[in-house]
Amino acid sequence: MNNALYNTHVKLLAFDFLSLSPNATDHPSSFSRKGRLLSRAETLGFVVTRELKPGKFLRFTIDDGTGCIPCVLWLNHLSSSYFSKRSPSGVRSIAQVAMKFASEIQLGVVARVRGRITGYRGMVQMTVSDVVLESDPNSQVLHWLDCVSLRFCGCIVGTCSFLLNLAQLFYLMSSCAMHVIVNVD
Amino acid sequence: MATSAISAGALVNLQELTPSSPNFKQGASFRVTGKLQEYNLETAIAVIVDEGASLKIDTQHMKLNLRPGSIYQFIGELHIEPNNEAILKARVGRNVDGLDINLYRHSLQLLREFQTEQINTRTS
Repeated sequence: MNNALYNTHVKLLAFDFLSLSPNATDHPSSFSRKGRLLSRAETLGFVVTRELKPGKFLRFTIDDGTGCIPCVLWLNHLSSSYFSKRSPSGVRSIAQVAMKFASEIQLGVVARVRGRITGYRGMVQMTVSDVVLESDPNSQVLHWLDCVSLRFCGCIVGTCSFLLNLAQLFYLMSSCAMHVIVNVD
Repeated sequence: MATSAISAGALVNLQELTPSSPNFKQGASFRVTGKLQEYNLETAIAVIVDEGASLKIDTQHMKLNLRPGSIYQFIGELHIEPNNEAILKARVGRNVDGLDINLYRHSLQLLREFQTEQINTRTS
């Protein structure tokens, strides 16, 4: 199985993310998508659910318009034995960053989330390592286009008309960028 | 693997939520985008418009400062009233002033084609 994207944060649409299947044979805690091993992903969308267990974790859901990705952000760094052998100052820093992410994740915000792809109770989810709030309303559109174009880079054959549409859209995007530059000037 | 418990807000244009549309279903989840035409503070009902179509949005569960003339995006469930009028009971919403509507519409079309193609490839 192709592992070129293993450990890379791959931009995935939710419907694609939710179709990932566990692959324990090639790599522990890896998932496969059309013959490619994946372990990390990036998503962008509305936060539509939020459940906080203080000192333990924050569970939330990202809706990108094609599906809902369950996410978990761990907040137990100061009490977990997993971190007991690491430097206390380093663990405190990690805990502070996680707390900051947790405070930023509120219902209705649009967030770009990166993390490990994990399984929980038969569901694929994201164990969060990074959160960035998006204020640009076009960021979701650009994320969709990134996901679509990257799938083509992943050697998935599409129809000619589809590729033509994609090319037209990138032309539109460049026109839009030029428009912004002209306005700024 | 199993799927998430909450329904994703399917991306639709307001023109696709007319009574004759297959999307016109009680309880279906949608994400809609449009310009705020009016907002009633007492009822928390907003009306958004896009390309000649309009939709009522129930915003009572949201804390959002709504300004007529601005563009908003809402995710929620469609409630069809006895008179066949639809109202979206919004769960979340956001001001999206600055959104390139033309790019959004084109991208939405492309996204749908891509999703259909991918799902067909999977099932074939």
